[in-house]
Amino acid sequence: MSTLAIWADVYKQYWRINFLTALEYRANFLVWFAFTFIYHATALAALYIVLREFPVMNGWSFSEMAFLYSLWMLAHALNNTLFLTVGDVPEHVRDGEIDRVFVRPLNPLFQILTTPQQIFPDELILAILLFILATIWAKPIIDVWFVIFMPLVVIGGALIDFAINLLIATCAFWFVKVDGLRWVAFQLEQEFTRYPISIYTKGVRLVLTFLLPYAFMNYYPATFFLDKTENALHLAPQVGLLSPLVGVACFCVAYAFWRVGLNHYEGVGH
Amino acid sequence: MRRGFRIEPYLEFAKKAFAREATYRMEVFTSVGSLVLRIYLMRMVWLALYAQNVAPQGIALHQMLTYTVVALLMSLILEVDGTRLIRDRLRDGSIATDFMKPTSPALFYFSDGAGQTALHAMLILPSLGFALLMVHIDVPSPLAAAVFFLSFAIGYVVNFFLNFCMNCVAFWTMETFAIQLIVRWCSDLLSGQIIPLLFFPGILERIVLALPFAAIYSTPLLIYIGRITPAEYAGALLSQVGWLVVFAVLGTIIWRAAQRRLVIQGG
Repeated sequence: MSTLAIWADVYKQYWRINFLTALEYRANFLVWFAFTFIYHATALAALYIVLREFPVMNGWSFSEMAFLYSLWMLAHALNNTLFLTVGDVPEHVRDGEIDRVFVRPLNPLFQILTTPQQIFPDELILAILLFILATIWAKPIIDVWFVIFMPLVVIGGALIDFAINLLIATCAFWFVKVDGLRWVAFQLEQEFTRYPISIYTKGVRLVLTFLLPYAFMNYYPATFFLDKTENALHLAPQVGLLSPLVGVACFCVAYAFWRVGLNHYEGVGH
Repeated sequence: MRRGFRIEPYLEFAKKAFAREATYRMEVFTSVGSLVLRIYLMRMVWLALYAQNVAPQGIALHQMLTYTVVALLMSLILEVDGTRLIRDRLRDGSIATDFMKPTSPALFYFSDGAGQTALHAMLILPSLGFALLMVHIDVPSPLAAAVFFLSFAIGYVVNFFLNFCMNCVAFWTMETFAIQLIVRWCSDLLSGQIIPLLFFPGILERIVLALPFAAIYSTPLLIYIGRITPAEYAGALLSQVGWLVVFAVLGTIIWRAAQRRLVIQGG
């Protein structure tokens, strides 16, 4: 069998196990579904209530902010569906479980990403529903660019999210505990992306654009598709179309760092 | 209880919980760091909103910023799940030994929670220091400050009993993590921690103000920023006490049932 066929087969088996587990633990699945739903519902409800009292935020209305949120949620949910297990790496390093991936003849990162657990694409489905609603409300220009670029932007966004999680997880090869670091990134990703980044001070805008480019998950693409002027760093709105490239670049950097981390860890073991 | 009640063991439990929490130094720094980030975020959000709109419900920007920062500082204490020990000890089975000890198990969990709270309360001062670097916080009149602290204390106990009831659910389900987080998120929104309940539209505002969650954050905060006037203090505190009694009674009922349940499981 070719390598690719092996990968495809492993991946198929992995999803089969995920679905079977979800079917087996139905009550648990329902509770976690409620959990996901309430998390996003309370975030959106808070936005709605505030923007009823204050109709605009730096030129953004509630429907546009909902579109901003839905773009982030799509990328975030795609990351959570495909790449969530990378967050377990620090724990595997701590308890020694990580050694397992070295003795098997398959790419270590691929093995981490196919560690079965109870993952079901429920968040992704919710994200797509919200995206459809937000698109109807916010009325972005729907043309051929929208149709071609939107899926790419979402994949790029998921790669950005994934790459930063991978970078942080890789730090565990040097420092055993990376929870603090993870919290900061988590907060920047989940809470700072809820608003147009033009409301922040210059330093934070630069960080969210160049250092931890979460702004490419939603702010820049939303600015382009909603035909708004970009007034955070005064860039051309077309910058939003770079999200897929930014995602791929982030992933390459993170993957290179991951390789360095793996070699370092193996070095320690001997 | 039959041998006469002594407070010393419980003080010792609280001290131990305090020392235990203090060993997680990284977690302590993280919670202060995360709070500072959130204060920055909320400051920028409210500045942007007030810059382009008229102040709603007569809440001026400085009041709004004060409200947000005080709410976040309060959350350092209110987000402590004081009785999560129940859940942990149910899972590993050690809860049985808690019932064999000559001390009251419920009071043991309460004093453990008090110890944890004391540690987190100490984080308020450094956090306040960082907050003051970023925002100006209004200082209330001495009367309002005194009533605020009283109201906060009542809110703390309401929140404590709410968590206690939730943790006791573990006697039946073992797992309460997801349900507790769901209740936490709803309560963050409905208690006025994220946004003042005065912003809720029309009838919803009256509903959320009548829910028990309002007793946790909203009442003390509205007293602090002066939206609840001295003439309204008595009524506001009384409704908080009402919720306290409701949750205390509910907690007692659940705890009794839980004890029976534990005996059945053990027998």
